[in-house]
Amino acid sequence: MTGPVVHDVHSLPADDNVNPYAFSVDLDGRWFLQKGKMIAYYGQIDFHGIGHGRLDRLIAGSFHSPLHAADWVVAEGRGKMLLADRSFDVNSYDLDEGNLTIRSGNVLAFQPSLSLKQSIIPGFLTLIGTGKFVAASNGPVVFVEPPIRVDPQALVGWADCPSPCHHYDHRYLRGFLGGLRAHTGFGGVSGEEHQFEFTGAGTVLLQSTERIVPELATGALPEEDGIPGDGGHVPQSGSQLPQLPGNLRGLQRRFGL
Amino acid sequence: MLAVDMTGDAVRAKNGAMVAYEGRMAFKKMTGGGEGLRGMVTRRLTGEQMAVMEAKGEGTCYFADRACEINLVRLQGEKLYVEAGNLLCTDAALRTGTTFTGLRGASQGNGLFTTTVEGHGQAAITSDGPAVVLRVTQQYPLQVDPGAYVAHTGDLRQHFQSGVNFRTFIGEGSGEAFQIRFEGEGLVYVQPSERTTVGGDV
Repeated sequence: MTGPVVHDVHSLPADDNVNPYAFSVDLDGRWFLQKGKMIAYYGQIDFHGIGHGRLDRLIAGSFHSPLHAADWVVAEGRGKMLLADRSFDVNSYDLDEGNLTIRSGNVLAFQPSLSLKQSIIPGFLTLIGTGKFVAASNGPVVFVEPPIRVDPQALVGWADCPSPCHHYDHRYLRGFLGGLRAHTGFGGVSGEEHQFEFTGAGTVLLQSTERIVPELATGALPEEDGIPGDGGHVPQSGSQLPQLPGNLRGLQRRFGL
Repeated sequence: MLAVDMTGDAVRAKNGAMVAYEGRMAFKKMTGGGEGLRGMVTRRLTGEQMAVMEAKGEGTCYFADRACEINLVRLQGEKLYVEAGNLLCTDAALRTGTTFTGLRGASQGNGLFTTTVEGHGQAAITSDGPAVVLRVTQQYPLQVDPGAYVAHTGDLRQHFQSGVNFRTFIGEGSGEAFQIRFEGEGLVYVQPSERTTVGGDV
């Protein structure tokens, strides 16, 4: 019987996966990483929370997401650092003057040469620039090219293509019964009436399960007109009738109440 | 899942970890982890209780625990330090005991004591995701997140290292405020996942 592979500081790969679940970073300088994703390190590395201080310039240059600031740290120093996330699959991706939008819970770490911004799609982050980043997925990632419709739960992110739009299966939702079915679930739903639709040139990243990596509590979006997401006001229908809770409200609107 | 072939010999395993067996097997609960009265009292006092059973017989016995990964460790006289909850199965020839670990345990929220396994034979430890084995040498000490630590062997000194500073208290903590620093010669087993720890969010 052969024993397990023993790694030391020299045999650990530089900026590559140790196994499908752990990634080794050859740190010489700085990396951004999400809190709690570091599992072990060799060498001299300091972790700084993101706030004011001597890292101000770095953060001004590559971190543009104040809502996520509390979840990120800067690792600074020299050494080898192991990253992992709840034993999900981890992969690294290289961006070359590109952009990639990804579910916020999936990003583990990125090089400061990239810049992190909040996507206008709530719950997603966009990375712009040139550099390497590490992301987790539940099961291996599959790359596909648009035009494609994907299940919302299987979507990890997309690169270089315009933002997706919602697509509803029209035939299934048509008519009174369809409406009843869609809004209440009576009559059975296949669970596949709703997809994200991608068009244009680019790449879409899918994971091989529909169990999503839990999202981060990203705080509230600024209350400003024109910003989609939690911050926006829920459009009120003109009706003065009491509104039914949840999906039934949609049904109510359908009947013009 | 772990398959153990047995020909009349015995293994000790975590209570209830058997999922299937072929052949003839007898299972016996071992009070106090099979360490006698003194071991039983020590475990009760230190909070490192282990519910252990002895499986004996001929055939193949299969062990598993909550779909965790299983890592086999072959011991040749050295000592393995492992959390009681991560120890799945040991050869009957191995001795288990309890030892004081210091502050590390406190930060993990699983007590100040840990379980030791020594002797010649194999032990199976569980981890959430396959464990990465990291070598520690005199020149290259290793820092490990307490939530990802599973076990270690060899002659290692542990230090509890904290990066807590004033920023932690104004809500700008780095999330990596506590680490265990291993110095000396040995191997450390790390899992690609973090348990929820008391100090984990600081």
